[in-house]
Amino acid sequence: MKTLRATLSTLLSLLIVFPILYSISASFFQYTDFTALPARLLPSSLNLSNYVRSFAESSLARFLFNSLLTSIVGTLLRMTISILAAYTFSFFSFKGRNALFIIIVATMLLPPDALIIANFTTIRALRLTDTYLGIISTSLLAPTHIFMLRQYFRMMSVEYREAALIEGCSDSRFLMTLLMPMSMAVVLTLAIHSFSTIFNDYLWPLLVTNKTSMRTVQVGLTMMGFSENLDYGPQFAAITLLMAPILIAFIALHKPIKESVSTRFTGR
Amino acid sequence: MKSRISIKTKPYIMIFPALLLVVLFSYIPFILTLLNSLHAVSLSGKRLGFVGLSNYQRLFGSQSFHASLSNTIRFTLLFVPTNITITLLAATLSNRKGWLANLNQIFFFLPMAVGLSSMLMIIKMMFNPSIGIVNHLTGVHIQWFNNPNAAMALLVIAGVFLDIGFDFLLFSAALRNVPNDLKEVARINGANGFQIFRHLELPLIGPTLIFIIVTNIKDAMLISAPVLILTEGGPFRSTQTLVYQMYLEGFKSGNYALGSAIAIVVFALTFIALLALLHFERRRIYYQ
Repeated sequence: MKTLRATLSTLLSLLIVFPILYSISASFFQYTDFTALPARLLPSSLNLSNYVRSFAESSLARFLFNSLLTSIVGTLLRMTISILAAYTFSFFSFKGRNALFIIIVATMLLPPDALIIANFTTIRALRLTDTYLGIISTSLLAPTHIFMLRQYFRMMSVEYREAALIEGCSDSRFLMTLLMPMSMAVVLTLAIHSFSTIFNDYLWPLLVTNKTSMRTVQVGLTMMGFSENLDYGPQFAAITLLMAPILIAFIALHKPIKESVSTRFTGR
Repeated sequence: MKSRISIKTKPYIMIFPALLLVVLFSYIPFILTLLNSLHAVSLSGKRLGFVGLSNYQRLFGSQSFHASLSNTIRFTLLFVPTNITITLLAATLSNRKGWLANLNQIFFFLPMAVGLSSMLMIIKMMFNPSIGIVNHLTGVHIQWFNNPNAAMALLVIAGVFLDIGFDFLLFSAALRNVPNDLKEVARINGANGFQIFRHLELPLIGPTLIFIIVTNIKDAMLISAPVLILTEGGPFRSTQTLVYQMYLEGFKSGNYALGSAIAIVVFALTFIALLALLHFERRRIYYQ
C-alpha cells in the first residue's frame, strides 16, 4: 500500500515536471535530435549553439530588459500606492472613509481582461502605446493588496501611531521605521506576487506594444520566429534561460514557500 | 490655520493615487464598455449613435458567438473537474514524510515557476504532430491542432500545467492541517485510505476546495492566452472562447461595439458564477 502510493505519486510528479525537464534537455538538441527515431529524451551532444543563436538571432536581451524594467518599476509603484492607501484607511479617520474604501475594493469584481478594449482606447488617447508607462499603467493598482494590507495594519492598534505622533514622530517616519519593519513578511509576499503577475502578463502588453523593441519577454517569446520554422532548439534555449533563475529560487526556497502558503490561506 | 487644512486634506491626498487609478482603469472603462455596447462605434473608437440592444441582438444571433459561448462553457466543464482531480490526487499522494515525498512535492509545484507564455510555448512544441515529443514518444498520430476534440483537450492539458503549481500548494497546505490523531483513530477503527480521504480529509479541506473551484471557474471563463498562443480559436472556431472573440472583434476587426457587448456578457457570467458559489459556500457547514 505504502509503496503503491509512493510509486503513483512519483509517476504523477514526473509527468507534471516533464515539460520543464524536457525543455532543459531540448535546449541542447540539434535539429536532427528532434526528428530521431526512437524519440530522444537526451541530447546527442552538449553544446551551447542554441543559446548563442537565441540571443544572436532575436531581440531576447531587449525583451528581457523591458520585462525586468516594467516588473521592477511596476512593483515599486504598486506597493507604494497600496501601502499609502492601506495606511490611510487603517490609521486615519476622515469623511467618507468607508465609502471610498468600498469604491476601491469593489473593483476586485471587475476582471481586468474584460476591460481591455476600453482601457486600450484610453491608453491610445493618452498616446501611451509603445511606452513603458503604457505597459505598466493597468497593473499599478491592486485592490487585493490594499485589502490585505489594511487587514494586516488593523491588527495594530491606532494608539501606536498616536503615541508616536505625540512623541514628535512624523507619519512618514512612523510608516518607514515602525510599520514597515513590523509588516515585512506580508509586504514582501505581496511584492513577490506583484512582480510575478506583472512579469507574466500577456494579453495587455501584447495589445499596447507594436514595436519589437518594446515587447516584453512573455510576448516576445512567442514571436521569435524559431518555432514557426520548426527550429525548436533556440526556442527551448530561450525558455530555459528565462526559467532557470526562478526554478533555482523555487527549489532553494521550497520550504518557506510551502509554509507561507499554509499560513496565508488557511490562517494557521 | 494652514496646518489644520493640511491635516484634514492629508488622508485624501494619500489615497488619491489609488482612487485616480480605480476611476481611470476600472470605473471609466466599465462605463465606456457598457455605453459602447449600446452604441454604434467607429473604427477610431468614437460613439456614433445610440442603437439600444441591437448589438446584443446581433451578438446573440451570430454563429460565432454561439460557438464562443458553448466552447467557453465546455472548456470550463472539462477543465475544472480535471484540474481539481489531478491536483487533489497529487496533494493527497504526496502528503507523506521522507525525501521522496519531498521531491514529489517540489515537482508538483515547480510548474508555478515557469512563466505563462514559456509554459504555453513548451506545450506547443511538445504537442507538434510531426516533430513533437508527445506523438513521438507515445506512437500516436493525434493532430493536436487540426482536430476539434484534440485541440480542446490540448487547452485543458495546458490549463492544468498552468494552474497545478499554485493549486497544489493550497491543497497540500490544507491537507497538512488535518490532525494526524484523527486519521490514526479512523485507521484503528478499520477505515481504508480512500474512506479516510472521503469522510475525513475532504470535509476538512472544504473551504480550500471551494476557494480553488471559484478561482478555477473564474480563470476558465476568462481563458485567452492559451487560445491565442496554442490554437488561435481553431480548427473551425472549435476553441474560440469569449475573451478570445472579444479580442478578435475589438482588435482584429475593429468592431468595438460588438467586442464591448461580449465584455458585458463576460462580466455577467463571472458575476453569476461568483454569486452562486458564495451562496453555496454560505450553506456549507464549517468544520474548522
